[in-house]
Amino acid sequence: MKGNMYLAWSCDDKIREMGESGGAVTALLKFALEMRLVDAVVAVKKRNGNRYDGVLSLITDPDEVVESAGALHFAPVNVAKEIHKYLDGAKDLKIAVTCKPCDCRAIIELAKRGQINMANVILIGLNCTGTVSPVVAEKMIKDEYHVNPEDVVGEELDNGKLVIILADGARKQRDLEELEKKAYGRRENCRRCAINIPTMADLACGKWGTKDKKATFIEVCSQKGSELIEKAIEAGALIVETPDEEAIEEREKKDKQAVELAQRWEQKDFDFLRRLSNKDRLNYWLEYFNRCIKCFGCRDVCPICYCRDCYLEPERGFVQGGQTPPHLMFPLVRLAHVADSCVNCGQCQDVCPMEIPLTRLYHMLNRELSSMFGYVPGMDLSDYPPLTIVTDEELHIEEVNVFRKN
Amino acid sequence: MITSIEHIPTICPYCGCGCGIYLVVKDGNIVGMEPWKDHPVCEGKNCQKGRNAHTFSTSDQRLKTPLIKKNGVFEETSWKAAFGLIADKFQNAEPDAVGFINSAKCSNEDLYVIQKFIRVVQKTNNMDNASRFCHSTTVPALLSTVGSGVMTTSTTSIEQADCIFVAGSNLQETYPIIARRVIRAKRKGARVIVVDPRITVTVKNLADTYLQIYPATDNALVNGMMRVIIDEGLEDKEFIEKRTQGIHELKNYLMTLDLKEIEKITNISLDVISEAARIYATAKRACILFNSGIAQHAAGIENIKGLADLALLTGNYGKPGTGVNPLRGHANGEGFGDMGPLPVFYPGFQAVNEETARRFEEIWGVKDLPSQPGMTYMDMVEKCKLLYVVGANPMLAAPDTNRVKKAFEEKDLLVVQDIFMTETAEMADIVLPAATAMEKDGTITCLDRRVQRIHKAVQAPGDAKPDWVIFCELAKIMGFEQQFSFDGPVQIFEEIRKCVPQYRGITYERLKSASGIQWPCPTEDHPGTEVMFVEKFPTPDGLGHFQIAEYKPPLEVPDDTYPYIFTNGRVVFHFHTGTMTRRTKGLNNELPNGFAEVNREDARELGIEDGDPVLLKSRRGEIKTVARVTDDIRPGLIFMPWHFSECAPNILTGPTAGPPSKMPEFKFCAVSIEKV
Repeated sequence: MKGNMYLAWSCDDKIREMGESGGAVTALLKFALEMRLVDAVVAVKKRNGNRYDGVLSLITDPDEVVESAGALHFAPVNVAKEIHKYLDGAKDLKIAVTCKPCDCRAIIELAKRGQINMANVILIGLNCTGTVSPVVAEKMIKDEYHVNPEDVVGEELDNGKLVIILADGARKQRDLEELEKKAYGRRENCRRCAINIPTMADLACGKWGTKDKKATFIEVCSQKGSELIEKAIEAGALIVETPDEEAIEEREKKDKQAVELAQRWEQKDFDFLRRLSNKDRLNYWLEYFNRCIKCFGCRDVCPICYCRDCYLEPERGFVQGGQTPPHLMFPLVRLAHVADSCVNCGQCQDVCPMEIPLTRLYHMLNRELSSMFGYVPGMDLSDYPPLTIVTDEELHIEEVNVFRKN
Repeated sequence: MITSIEHIPTICPYCGCGCGIYLVVKDGNIVGMEPWKDHPVCEGKNCQKGRNAHTFSTSDQRLKTPLIKKNGVFEETSWKAAFGLIADKFQNAEPDAVGFINSAKCSNEDLYVIQKFIRVVQKTNNMDNASRFCHSTTVPALLSTVGSGVMTTSTTSIEQADCIFVAGSNLQETYPIIARRVIRAKRKGARVIVVDPRITVTVKNLADTYLQIYPATDNALVNGMMRVIIDEGLEDKEFIEKRTQGIHELKNYLMTLDLKEIEKITNISLDVISEAARIYATAKRACILFNSGIAQHAAGIENIKGLADLALLTGNYGKPGTGVNPLRGHANGEGFGDMGPLPVFYPGFQAVNEETARRFEEIWGVKDLPSQPGMTYMDMVEKCKLLYVVGANPMLAAPDTNRVKKAFEEKDLLVVQDIFMTETAEMADIVLPAATAMEKDGTITCLDRRVQRIHKAVQAPGDAKPDWVIFCELAKIMGFEQQFSFDGPVQIFEEIRKCVPQYRGITYERLKSASGIQWPCPTEDHPGTEVMFVEKFPTPDGLGHFQIAEYKPPLEVPDDTYPYIFTNGRVVFHFHTGTMTRRTKGLNNELPNGFAEVNREDARELGIEDGDPVLLKSRRGEIKTVARVTDDIRPGLIFMPWHFSECAPNILTGPTAGPPSKMPEFKFCAVSIEKV
């Protein structure tokens, strides 16, 4: 039932060993495939065993699922967009997808736009407190942990520490805030992200609230999630117990800590911008926009952008072709098109060759709009973006200034 | 029902940055590109060419079968028939009647086999490629000063520089991923000096100090900077003492210079020259980046010797984020040189001479390898009766197109091996269809000496084959089966390792790592070399040698009939002769036509308005295009991109330096312009 909570682990020894926290997620995926509840599992897998090089994989063989076991914090894969682009939005394919909160939210936003068929998708959400860009991670592990990055077999982000685990079981930890002061640590968007438990998914799975038990804390978030987990329990694929009050409190406490850290980052990143006058703030961004080489990377990877005929393409005649930097309308139209629905996944900034902090722009505006309209994108399939449900009355408000007066 | 999705890692086939990309293959077809975030060069960031890297490969205009021209019309034929004709002609030709032009778009394995074929089967060193037009000045200039013409720092360590001197390169458009490193260096406090006669986006976004130089006076500027450094005592005396030779001669020469005269020649005020000199000389680590803006001049060798002198004078060698760094235009821009498909080098930069020829006779198990330098690019175009062109497009890339065209028309046999019916292929008697980088396995070596794997993602269309396969098959027909019995790229690479000392420690197994390996890599447990010349220079005495580089004016200067200076270059949306980018919708739609940038003042005098059709004439030909009136170019200078066959700048260019570089002066010739 929606709202149920479990501590769960796999019945299979091998999966328990390979998987994170008792291998419950791996067991669920394998079960879903074996029972033909889905045609395929979509998960991030290490390529060539390299944990810094995760790629999205389509798994149809139940025995192969275990290869995707274990958390990967250094592989920020664009899950939603790849499902949209390469799996035809799950139009004719039933899939179970493991995803971080931002992936879940991006999938839900694409579904609202008719680009992903949610009837065919089971979202196995994974708790997340952030990912690290792989090249940054490798440098950080070399310089700050004095470890060969290839020797790392696992990592954890917990209690404000980034822990790496080596093949012999040794654990090395560094303070996350210290690392991030040195420009190591998580991606900029992740630092500000306050959505750690993916309750918008069908199942929200994570380590918080498991105390020291080798188990996964699972919160059932939908009827679909409930059906899957109950079948898996019934078939014996998943062994569960009910978490006690203490476990639930621990989970809430950890989440609260992570949210507070995110809020501190948000304040740090945005307050500076919020304090600028409108003119200075515009100039701040213009300087970045002037660098743009019009590679279309931000658009191509954005899970909110989905138009078949993009307004920004030269043949549309709105932004003149062949110019660098492109006309100001290029970044501004992008901003207008995504600001109300940005899920702060960070993909745009990841791919920008000119180091424009795009997520800072989109996410900041989204936060302003969010509080104004009481709308948070990607949380609920039936909750539509403000602009699509604007009322007559709202259309006639005369003075609109998105940013608070200085 | 979907059966498979695969992410195939490979390297972008465009410029020499060497960025990684993922090709997404769905049921045997490339369906998209995804960023490869674990790649050390680009970290998942690509320019628009990288983002569209695979599109040309799937174009329906790909060549799919061998073609033979009969009565002026191409007809499809079989490989067997095409090989028969080629073998017949080439087998009976004198060594000096045949010439081969190759390309740094090919893989190392392709180029190794190609040069081996030419030397073993044809017994000639008549082979050259577009590097003649890019860095034929760089190599002799840097050999004589520091012993090697390679990039000395690595792309990633440009970030560690405190000063970056961008000498005539429009980095942000031509090497965006290098420009990113400059942006990151600036964020850490680096000062950036840009020299360019045009106010490019690089100037606008990256320059702290901008020098709008009079074209082709770079060497005078650099001499002026060195004079200021010496006058102000800013040279690195310890480095000069320990690691160089020839400072007194250089100093004596610099003392004869009149800085007022340099101010006049370069059209840059002495204050600005001095400021640039101080910023460069006082930086802990200063890095020079240059490309064709410096190299494509008759005085390119002097320009580059001057830059090397400047770096030696200030101790800017041997540390990350220093050096004099030539940027390479092609994806395999470093590797092609390493493989030796050049008139003066066997593989591994081993100079063509008796001793080298004997060494390779032993390695390859053959006799009579050529020991005399072969002909260079334009000499072959003009003199060889039989010409075989692989992946090059001289009809757009070579100077004085009308002359090239006439030479092609007079060939006994012109064979062109390419992926598309290029302007050059149109002229051919036989056209052979080749595979693209997405259709073969192999290695390429990008500008910072990084050897990386390219991976086959899909089958080549129709009968198209990898270049190395074509040459192996031809060699067999011509009686050299034993030397060309390679069963695949791994076997070729194993032979490369034997001949190229810099590659000895590199294996396909080791190249599985995303970072590739930077040569020199002498042994299998050697990690590769990020920074060159740390302890000594690869010169006979291990020292850097100051060279006196005197300013020389360009070969053809403006006069009353041709009063404007003409130059050309690249834009971010296109690549070289456009064979790939013009067949990529997302790129070509951005800029489907060429243009001529004209200074606003000049335009007013000429009665030309923005968008007007204009006619440009030089002593060699004329072209029509449209004017782009702008304040971003010096008065007296006209700029055009060279990607468009409809208005190809090389119809106008022509004057060419003598040996050793034989570099055409692409960046400077005299033209007239009028509204039509």
